[in-house]
Amino acid sequence: MAMTSPSRRHLRWTSNGILGLVGIAFALPLVWLVVASFDDHANLTLQWPRHFSLVNFEAVLTPDLAYVPLWNSMMISLGCAVITVAVAVLAAYPLSRYKLRINKPFLYGVLFGTCLPITAMMVPVYSLFVSLNLIDSEPGVVVFMAATSLPMAIWMMKNFMDSVPIVLEEAAWADGASMFTTLWRVVVPLMRPGIAVVFVFVFVQAWGNFFVPFILLLSPEKFPAAVSIFAFFGQYGSVMYGQLAAFSLVYSIPALALYVFTSRVLGGGSALAGAVKG
Amino acid sequence: MTQGSIMKRFATAAALGIAAALVLAGCSAPGSTGSSSSGTIKVAYQKFGNFTQMDTQMKEVKKQFEAANKGVKVQLIPIQAAENDYYTKLALMNKAASTAPDVLYEDTFLIKADADAGYLAPLDGYVKDWSDWSQFPDNARQAGQGDDGKLYGVSLGTDTRGLWYNKDLFAKAGLPVPWEPKTWDDVLSAARTIKAKLPGVTPLNVYSGKPNGEASTMQGFEMLLYGTQDQLTDDSGKWVAGSKGFTDALGFVKTVYQDKLGPTPQQALDTNIGNLISGQWLPKGKLAIDLDGSWQSQNWLPSGAAPWPDWDKTMGWTAMPTQTGQAPGSVSMSGGWTLALGSKSKNKPAAWNFIKLALNKENSLNFDIIGTQIPVRDDVAADPKYSESNPSNAFFAGLVKNTHFRPATSDYPKVSNAIQVAMESVMTGQQTPDKAAKAYDDALKQAVGADHVVTK
Amino acid sequence: MLRSAGRAVPLLPALILLAIFLVGPVLASFYGSFTDSALTGSAAQGSHFIGFANYIQLFQNPDFFKSVWLTIVFLIGSAVIGQNVAGLVLGLLMERGDRVMRSIVGTFVVTAWVLPEIVAAFAAYAFFHDKGTLNEILGAVGLHGPNWLYSLPMLAVILANIWRGTAFSMLVYTAALSEVPTDVTESAQIDGAGGWQRLGLITLPLIRRSISTNLMLTTLQTLSVFTLIFVMTGGGPGTNSSTLPILAYQQAFKFSELGLGTAIATILLVVGALFSIVYLRALKPEVD
Repeated sequence: MAMTSPSRRHLRWTSNGILGLVGIAFALPLVWLVVASFDDHANLTLQWPRHFSLVNFEAVLTPDLAYVPLWNSMMISLGCAVITVAVAVLAAYPLSRYKLRINKPFLYGVLFGTCLPITAMMVPVYSLFVSLNLIDSEPGVVVFMAATSLPMAIWMMKNFMDSVPIVLEEAAWADGASMFTTLWRVVVPLMRPGIAVVFVFVFVQAWGNFFVPFILLLSPEKFPAAVSIFAFFGQYGSVMYGQLAAFSLVYSIPALALYVFTSRVLGGGSALAGAVKG
Repeated sequence: MTQGSIMKRFATAAALGIAAALVLAGCSAPGSTGSSSSGTIKVAYQKFGNFTQMDTQMKEVKKQFEAANKGVKVQLIPIQAAENDYYTKLALMNKAASTAPDVLYEDTFLIKADADAGYLAPLDGYVKDWSDWSQFPDNARQAGQGDDGKLYGVSLGTDTRGLWYNKDLFAKAGLPVPWEPKTWDDVLSAARTIKAKLPGVTPLNVYSGKPNGEASTMQGFEMLLYGTQDQLTDDSGKWVAGSKGFTDALGFVKTVYQDKLGPTPQQALDTNIGNLISGQWLPKGKLAIDLDGSWQSQNWLPSGAAPWPDWDKTMGWTAMPTQTGQAPGSVSMSGGWTLALGSKSKNKPAAWNFIKLALNKENSLNFDIIGTQIPVRDDVAADPKYSESNPSNAFFAGLVKNTHFRPATSDYPKVSNAIQVAMESVMTGQQTPDKAAKAYDDALKQAVGADHVVTK
Repeated sequence: MLRSAGRAVPLLPALILLAIFLVGPVLASFYGSFTDSALTGSAAQGSHFIGFANYIQLFQNPDFFKSVWLTIVFLIGSAVIGQNVAGLVLGLLMERGDRVMRSIVGTFVVTAWVLPEIVAAFAAYAFFHDKGTLNEILGAVGLHGPNWLYSLPMLAVILANIWRGTAFSMLVYTAALSEVPTDVTESAQIDGAGGWQRLGLITLPLIRRSISTNLMLTTLQTLSVFTLIFVMTGGGPGTNSSTLPILAYQQAFKFSELGLGTAIATILLVVGALFSIVYLRALKPEVD
């Protein structure tokens, strides 16, 4: 693309300028979070810390407050993402390749599932879990969160699959391969970026989910970080800003790291875009 | 059989298998509470923020219990949630036999509702044979009663409310110390003096508005209302609408906020103003008078959240007067917690033994001291160790004789919410007390049903 | 028939999970909205069928209509207009900006989205607080900002939700725009069509399907936003920012009236369905 024409350069400068402003606007709320966590006298105002200190981090990085909950979060989110991705890939295949009558109602029905406020549904879920004897069970929480992540995951997975050309599968079918072999050997390898995107999406949602573990788990040592930070926020919301900020950073890093890792390895967030073309 | 159909069957089986395996895995997961065998009793209580005293106490009682009762284990379930979430969690646990605790830390004001819901077991049969029961006076016994007159909870302790004030600031403003206001006007005029003489100091705090929930209703509004001729309910138990006392109480709130005698509305609507007051404003002399609870000093103890070594040299305390000084002269509200027995418990005798142990004299005394509770047991109240542990204890315990309790019905939360809404609208100047009271009347009728309301 | 059934087999695990954990509770909740189900009190022993009483009670409650109105304002402000327009603008700008800018700005936008919801809510709370970053910046240029969370709560939560959710739309539109064939736009340019005309008459209609899908997805996701508003304003002051999910939480958990809470959730679904029908009718995308 020729970039030397004056109007083109002019356009680029304007675009860069506006982009820059937008970038700053998006980064601003985060600035406080970072700065306050290193400030031993942090309060809500954005101020340059009088002394840079790690005391906030020291206060929150204890087994009780951080290590155990973060480990729980990791297990729960990983478990949820793995199950969701596996089930979604399976489900997306017929939805994408075969024109079943169930497709449209299923897809739309599943989409509406995403708008339900979980707070209103928790009591029947609690009763359900009691009858399945899954209360206070981390696997139970994992399975439930997987089920609730399925709608978006199936939608996204189907869209990814739609953009995988069917030619290769037709060749495989012609060779006598069954549906599952084709899926596993031909389609999935081509969908790796898409699968990674769905994985990250589900992981990040599960990482931040507070309400479900709060309701379904009883033992404090099983709580994920989302619940412990909520308790922390409720207790010290107006007093220990520095610690809250530090805790927030520590808690966010794994989710951010996972996103950065997948997007570096798989060439940028444009992969996600392919997930929701509709 | 073609390769295709074998694969299909395998796939179907696999899918069903995955589902089944997950369910089974859940069932045998460690810690998933199966039905409690007679060998374990579950004790559920609150542990949140600075409130760790119950946790400390229960750990101690567990040790004592297991030593004395070989063969029965105690599983402690601390629920880390604030007020409403704690009630929710507990209710959810109570609903199902496999998760229902045997012993619960139960707020007096939910006893009636939870008894109605069938969550609690009646204790009348047990207390009959308990020698310690004679130490519990009548009003303490009533605190644990259900609507049907049966006993469902035994009190751990209670609390009262009054006026905390900063003696240094009072001296600087030329106000008398010790301070003994006799009417609402006395309180307001002291606040005005502070405002005039000490700019930069907030004269008087009255909790108000929805964000502070029950603190606004109980430490704020009800401390005013019950000092008038009117109350929330009348003798027959019907809710009162249109009372003059209600409007007057709202008028007091309006005066405090609109005449700038209190925090700004924005400050009052911060959910953490309670922490600010006990942790910063009072110790740093930014607030002169605080209408608050008997437990305030808990924060300033060495074991508290904001230790303040010489707090009792700076802080004074006095009773909140009635509106015009009419009998009985002072007003206080009391809440309090009990230990209750879960109706679905599979080992009620063991659970009762736990309750008895947790509420015997030594354990009650210990909890009342570390938790800055007002004792309900006569022997604990009389024990010198109690009054010596905290200079303000004797005073606040003395307020019990004129104290009031909230109408502890299952509708109360909605009424409390309507009160907070009314307080907020007069605090921000959105409505006059008359209009806000009228809005409350309408909300009241909607919340409890018009036939439970009597209009004055 | 058999072939079709066989082909649907991979759907089974999804169907099972969804049926047990999603459809079941949803139906139970829906049924619950017709009962006086409660967490405590006598109704907790066994709830009774009370027909439409919950809904009637809702419609008589002025707070309810205010909540519906606030929810619609929130939806239109932060999803329909906010995220979609911001996402589209960002998509267009990213096309023309240079690579470094793209990746820096993209990172910030996406970070806001990847942050766990409670951290994002807390950061937004600190930003919009009376003594927070925004007012500090305004103060530095001589303006006196209002107490956002107190006087303009809806504006604050709408802006916060735009901040949080735009990344999704940005990614969708970036991809959609990259698929717009350049020969069409270039020939239009040669024919003398200006930038805005090209945008409105050619580009946008070509990505109609993405717009419609994105509108639906962002609407549905925004409808259930709870934590962000709860942490920032608690639904207040008063009920000035109590959208339907906040109201449902209050009814179901603060007042322990589950029947009412689930009735509100059902209404939420209806609102979502109505918006979706509007999108589909207005944009008429082809869906397979």
